[in-house]
Amino acid sequence: MRSLERYWFGDVALARPYLALRFVLALLAFDTWLNMIPEGAKYGVGSFNVAHFPWFEGFVPSSGFYVGVLSFTGVLALSQALYRPHRIAIVLIAAGYTLGWSCSLLDSVAYHYLLSLYLVCFVFFPMLSARSAFSRSGEAPRGSAWAYVLFCVTTATVYFYVAAWSAAEGQSYWLPMLCCAAYLVATMQDRTELPALRSAIPLLGVAPVVFHLATPSQDWLSIYTIGIALIVFAPMAPLHQLGTWLTRPARNLADEPSTGGIDERASRLFYASLLGLIVAPMVSMFIDLPGVKTGCTLTAIAMLLVMGRQLYLTPRWRPVWRVASLMGGCLALWITMTASDAQFDYYQRGALDADRRGDHDTAVELREKALRHAP
Amino acid sequence: MASFATEPPPASPNAKSRRRAGAFIAAFVLFQFLAPLSYLGREDASDERFTWRRFTRSDEVACETSAWVERADGERRDIALESTIHQQWVDYVQRDRRAVVDAFLQKQCEAPGVLRVELVNHCDDARGTREYSLRCAEDRSATIRTATR
Repeated sequence: MRSLERYWFGDVALARPYLALRFVLALLAFDTWLNMIPEGAKYGVGSFNVAHFPWFEGFVPSSGFYVGVLSFTGVLALSQALYRPHRIAIVLIAAGYTLGWSCSLLDSVAYHYLLSLYLVCFVFFPMLSARSAFSRSGEAPRGSAWAYVLFCVTTATVYFYVAAWSAAEGQSYWLPMLCCAAYLVATMQDRTELPALRSAIPLLGVAPVVFHLATPSQDWLSIYTIGIALIVFAPMAPLHQLGTWLTRPARNLADEPSTGGIDERASRLFYASLLGLIVAPMVSMFIDLPGVKTGCTLTAIAMLLVMGRQLYLTPRWRPVWRVASLMGGCLALWITMTASDAQFDYYQRGALDADRRGDHDTAVELREKALRHAP
Repeated sequence: MASFATEPPPASPNAKSRRRAGAFIAAFVLFQFLAPLSYLGREDASDERFTWRRFTRSDEVACETSAWVERADGERRDIALESTIHQQWVDYVQRDRRAVVDAFLQKQCEAPGVLRVELVNHCDDARGTREYSLRCAEDRSATIRTATR
């Protein structure tokens, strides 16, 4: 195998792509709900909009559209983090998330573009179950995962440009350049024969952690980057142990093999899954934000699309766990929205803006809603 | 009943899959390298999207903005930006973000009877004063715009 081919297609510990995907998806869900949705009231104000890309020209996203897209993305992302992800679902998350930020310059947070790049990588990640990523024998399963290597190279590219622009402005650039180099070699640590390199790579992980602790950044960028650095650079043994512990419930889920045909019990599970798909989005009725109900309903439809034949074919329990993960996503959205200031912030910011524009009727209406959700 | 069987890792990609993956990797990495470089050719230096120049919001000082429309009956009417669009758009206009200024001028032209829209950004730094003018043609497409220092 040529060295370049070995670099992209060589083995990595499967715990890394497994945990990286779940970590980013779960964090992305809460990020959209807690940081992006509260900004939603400014969408559609004055029927004015400028999008990031020209193909949105003339389109003015309303606040309902923006919040709906983010609810859809968040719920689907969390459901995929909770139970074995499906490629179609990841495509929908990537499309929804990218649509969310790119439809308006009102969202110009730099790392949202980075997350879209990550989501594109995730589409090609191996769709691992907990059982295939973590063995009970203690030996970490390894396999080829070129999209995970691409994920690391994508991260390296960001640091490369941070270093390059710093150098161009005469500022210190060695730390981001070290981060870049670290991410380029990180994927080799699980297959290298050189003990020195195997020991050095985890130490290189300190560079991105220090960089993001020392550099002020918007919103949750530091949480993403430090979490990713820990997953990418951690030595294989402790990471595998941690993953094994975290995924114990998932590995113990019932999952009967196919016996062919549809019997009475399979029919019961089929109807239970369908019922779950209808009930899960109903949780959104308790969330007082425009677009959330539509977003959650679309998530259920997306889940139906994802499950496809699985809904009536075996392994019989898989659709049940998928629907349970959707229910988990919807419940998490509801709990997050009611336990946080997200709804209050949404209406309060909307009221302040309406006041400033002289639209006092709207301001009063929004302020009343804000008071209902006051912390 | 729960199954505790360990599933096998995914199969290693065959030669055909590797070729396809290789083509995708090359295109994706090339795209990532070229996207930030597009900044060097941008007309608007304040547009730092997709460049990784900074992870925080720009601390560029806002300019003082004034805007007005000239109507068909010869009347000149000032535009209060703050009461027309959201504050974040006003911030973009005051920071001379070209795409937003252009869209704002176009938007004002949509009102009936408007002949011309003018916007001036007075900045106390190297950016100086910039004037934007948009003549609203009958068909809304033949427009002239000038930006001067």
